[in-house]
Amino acid sequence: MSNPANNWQSPEAEKRLAKRYAAERRFKLLGLSAVGLSMAFLVFLIGTMLSGGLGGIDWAFLTGSDSTEPDTAGVWGAVKGSLLTMIVTIVLALPMGVLAAVYLEEFAPRNRWIDMVEVSINNLAAVPSIIFGLLGLAVFINFLGMPRSSPLVGGMTLALMTMPVIVIAGRNAIKAVPPSIRDAALAVGASRVQTVFHHVLPLALPGILTGAIIGMARALGETAPLLMIGMRAFVSTPPSGITDPATVLPMQIFLWSDEVDRAFVQNTSAAILVLLAFLLTMNGFAIYLRNKFETRW
Amino acid sequence: MTLPALLVLIAGLGLIGWLVARAKAQRLNTGRNALHSLPGHHGWYLALWIMLPALAGVLLWGAISPGLIHTAVLADPAAASLPAFDLERDAILSEAYTLAEDPGASAFNPGAEQLVPAVIAAKSKFGAMGTALVLLLAFAGGGFGYTRLSASFQARTKVERVVLVLLLAASLLAVLTTVGIIASLLFESGIFFSKVSPIEFIFGTHWSPANGSFGAVPLFWGTIFIGAIIAMVVAIPLGLMSAIYLTQYAHPNVRKWMKPMLEILAGIPTVVYGYFAALTVAPMVRDFAVMMGFDNPSTESALAAGLVMGIMIIPFVSSMADDSIAAVPQAMRDGSLAMGATRSETIKKVLIPAALPGIVAGVMLAISRAIGETMIVVMAAGATANLSANPFASMTTVTFQIVQLLTGDQEFDSAKTLSAFALGLVLFGVTLILNIIALRVVKRFREAYE
Repeated sequence: MSNPANNWQSPEAEKRLAKRYAAERRFKLLGLSAVGLSMAFLVFLIGTMLSGGLGGIDWAFLTGSDSTEPDTAGVWGAVKGSLLTMIVTIVLALPMGVLAAVYLEEFAPRNRWIDMVEVSINNLAAVPSIIFGLLGLAVFINFLGMPRSSPLVGGMTLALMTMPVIVIAGRNAIKAVPPSIRDAALAVGASRVQTVFHHVLPLALPGILTGAIIGMARALGETAPLLMIGMRAFVSTPPSGITDPATVLPMQIFLWSDEVDRAFVQNTSAAILVLLAFLLTMNGFAIYLRNKFETRW
Repeated sequence: MTLPALLVLIAGLGLIGWLVARAKAQRLNTGRNALHSLPGHHGWYLALWIMLPALAGVLLWGAISPGLIHTAVLADPAAASLPAFDLERDAILSEAYTLAEDPGASAFNPGAEQLVPAVIAAKSKFGAMGTALVLLLAFAGGGFGYTRLSASFQARTKVERVVLVLLLAASLLAVLTTVGIIASLLFESGIFFSKVSPIEFIFGTHWSPANGSFGAVPLFWGTIFIGAIIAMVVAIPLGLMSAIYLTQYAHPNVRKWMKPMLEILAGIPTVVYGYFAALTVAPMVRDFAVMMGFDNPSTESALAAGLVMGIMIIPFVSSMADDSIAAVPQAMRDGSLAMGATRSETIKKVLIPAALPGIVAGVMLAISRAIGETMIVVMAAGATANLSANPFASMTTVTFQIVQLLTGDQEFDSAKTLSAFALGLVLFGVTLILNIIALRVVKRFREAYE
């Protein structure tokens, strides 16, 4: 055993090595099974919804409104409510979010006030959504006296929730625009405002829009804050304006899942499929935008 | 004039001002470098001078005109017969206002109908006065702005100052939202705590708002048990191992497909998870409980809600762990591998300890998300406040109770509905602390390796 090289070939060493390799394989398998288990759950969930709801989707279901009869109940009223709510949300959250992102990234001085704004935005992005519902209930409905269960109040509440998401995405997109673009614009005499609005913002727009769509997709699936402001009423006619009582798609799912009548199970699964289709389209569009317009500087 | 029509009118005047000022600037532009600012900036300058005073006028008039209309209606001879008692008089007046808006509305009080002409007269009179005021302000502002325009006038500087104020206002909205949340929660809980002692609320162990007992300990326990224990037992190992597999072992092509797939889990709305938990997972858990020998377990269980919540959190934990592991310098990994450690040994002994602060912060954010999660527990966890460690028992949470207390018919100042805001305050406080600590840890951690 005088030759050190022989230590590597001794039976004990080989055994130790085999053990270590076995541990390596076990660990890798553990990782793979963790991913596999999560995927299996996803497949199981979507499979359950497909098998339960696919039979319930037909033209009458897509164009009808809520009803006490499971056979005649449809999702159009809820879809229209969701659309109106989302319009209010995007009209408020997108400009406000983009302007705030521009200010924080391009103009804000570094001081304690701006730190407070940043902490507050980062924190708002992580506040439970039900808290925004409490805010909407206390401020918009009880204090300002706005119409209960309307897409207007729902959209405003969701806009407050979505704005921090858009601000964070917008700041990252603006940060990604190289300083040379700004320098070039400033060098030919543009003011800082012109530089930002003519050059930086158009280049950052795909990133901002991607963030906005993802934020909107989150808002579209949100139920809890809308429960707080009373959008759980039984609405059998589609809303005709943003101040009419309305319900939204996730809320319709929640209401139907509460029904005692077993026939509503199919409706609930079918409505879930409609909602998932909307979300998938939005997220797919966001990914498409990102891939198509993403620039590597 | 109605409000939307007035706003359209103001916008139209602004557009005219923009065109007029731009035309004037173009006339002034006699040659090279004759103008300080572009004609467009002159246009914006005048448009702002027209629109901002007019909008201020709209706001001002909107604030004071209801009071003026009120006084005018009361001064009308038809109002002489009204009862002097305030509450009754206000009820009749508000009916009269509704009738004036919508003649088809039904009125309970006959006095209201007599007042309608007076209301309509007062409204049209003050409405016309308001329109006149707004137009006056618009023209005064426009006139002043127009006289300022000249070749050397620095319109760009002035306009950009307004733009900056607008940008600042947009970013202050976030602070305003935070302040609004804190103020409304504190205000409503303040009223609640004047009726119920805070000591009883925080330390009491009996929760039954219908009977006036507000001991919230069972709710806190249910929230922690479902959100911070059961859900994390599912989410931490699965999320962490997924992140490790996807970053360290998986082929880049596999990773490119698996990661978005995993993120779909995070994009599924919570109401769908809730439905799935209630319809599919809860019966399975119940059958399992029967198999384990529990007699008559409830269909709503903490375990079903916690399990599904854990699955929902997996992508969140996984992406946080992914980021922290990616932030560990490559040199540390290379060093370990060069010393002959296998990949799993490197991960367990080098990468995870080095990434631990980031992972812990991610778990804290995940907990804060889990305890604020509402729909899953509303649909799957149950309504009975239960202080037990049995995962098969029905258990309730803070968020469930907020929903329970604030939906359905309610009068707004009872202790029962106000307690929802006290619960909201606790929830907001806890998530705020978790978020701030976690964000600070993440920041410190990033700086350590940069």
